[in-house]
Amino acid sequence: MNGLIDEFYRNFINESRWKLLLSGLGVTLEITAFALLLGVVLGFFVAIVRSAHDKTGKLGILNRLCTLYTTVIRGTPVVVQLMLIYYGVFASVNISKVLVAVLAFGLNSGAYVSEIVRSGIMAIDEGQFEAGRSLGFSYAQTMWYIVMPQAFKNVLPALGNEFITLLKETSVSGYIAMEDLTKAGDIIRSRTFSPFMPLIAVAVIYLIMVGIFTRLLALMERRLRNSER
Amino acid sequence: MNADFVMETSPLIHVEDLVKTFGENEKGKKTIHALNGVSMDIRKGDVVVIIGPSGSGKSTFLRSLNLLEVPTGGKIVFEGTDIMDRSVNVDQYRQKMGMVFQHFNLFPHMTILRNLTLGPIKLQKKDPKTAEAEAMDLLGRVGLADRAGAYPSQLSGGQKQRIAIVRALAMNPDVMLFDEPTSALDPEMVGEVLDLMKVLAKSGMTMAVVTHEMGFAREVATRVVFMEEGRILEEGTPDTFFSHPKDERLKAFLSKVLV
Repeated sequence: MNGLIDEFYRNFINESRWKLLLSGLGVTLEITAFALLLGVVLGFFVAIVRSAHDKTGKLGILNRLCTLYTTVIRGTPVVVQLMLIYYGVFASVNISKVLVAVLAFGLNSGAYVSEIVRSGIMAIDEGQFEAGRSLGFSYAQTMWYIVMPQAFKNVLPALGNEFITLLKETSVSGYIAMEDLTKAGDIIRSRTFSPFMPLIAVAVIYLIMVGIFTRLLALMERRLRNSER
Repeated sequence: MNADFVMETSPLIHVEDLVKTFGENEKGKKTIHALNGVSMDIRKGDVVVIIGPSGSGKSTFLRSLNLLEVPTGGKIVFEGTDIMDRSVNVDQYRQKMGMVFQHFNLFPHMTILRNLTLGPIKLQKKDPKTAEAEAMDLLGRVGLADRAGAYPSQLSGGQKQRIAIVRALAMNPDVMLFDEPTSALDPEMVGEVLDLMKVLAKSGMTMAVVTHEMGFAREVATRVVFMEEGRILEEGTPDTFFSHPKDERLKAFLSKVLV
């Protein structure tokens, strides 16, 4: 027992090492939040372009670009994308690492979000489109007032899943020498030579974050579901 | 005044030689001719009932009138405007053509009241208070005012279809299109929907109705049209149409449905 307390002291209290975890968590949350935002915006945009193309046959070139984007992003590992952007695209530019990470994870997430949202749009009954159009709404108005609210509600659980994945995927930020939560655990290990405790602390913090996230999503879902069905 | 003169003499909807083919330009697919040159004039106050066997093109024809189905050839002139002209904004004309579907297509994420006011508020830029008052008035007329705050899933099929009809009416259309409005209903709910349609017809609303309800056609129609293989084979007043059919295929069809 004393040994455990000793180890805890060494890993987290001594030299205020807990501050490493705290600032690491801050970096992780910062990247996740902004990447989420970028991913959702990109994802909805791509989904709307692609489903509009499927339904109306318009936007051919844009649709092809969007398809290329999802193919490349989904076909390569996020670590590779992250390093390509950092060491390749922005190699000769002095740019904040947070920005690079947000860009990489946002671009990555957007591809998955787009497929989730697209499936939600395609699942809405064609009759809903027709009812909207027959009242005199344009395609865009029909999407905005009638289709998207229903699609969003349907894909919320899948989107939540994607957000949870995103939060954990940022743990590879260490590859471009960012001190995120995972990296913070690593730094502590390299100082204290404790094999497990820092890692367990890191794991527990991720778990708590995901738990909070899940609760928030469940709340949102319930509020949206309250109305119909 | 000139416009009024045109309205009086020319039909509300003038359809000329309408053609619709499916599967053209697609390899390995047989081209299907859904409409083979259909012409029709619908005048103000007409109640045109279109009947025919399934696959006869009657639904395709009705859905072409507001371009939910885009014809491959022919002409549709609505209130003097050729709406198939590419430069015409069809959304504007659809506001004047109410449509009722077989499967109601109410918006499930909105209350009944919101279903009714969405179009008037967003498209006609009506003041929300005014739109709601008008919607409540319409709901009162179909006896569903107490369901204004309910969601579509809480209504019966017959109630849903009556709501779908008043949703279209809330836009103040010049013509109402009905695409098999009672086909998805349980038998005991067909009556309430047909009754509402009869009231509508009596009020002078111009209507085009695709249906299998021969009783409705006989009682309410000013003209009955029989379609098969994408063509109009016979049309006439309900009296001559049902009592003295001339076309052999119409006779065969009537002998099957009028048992």
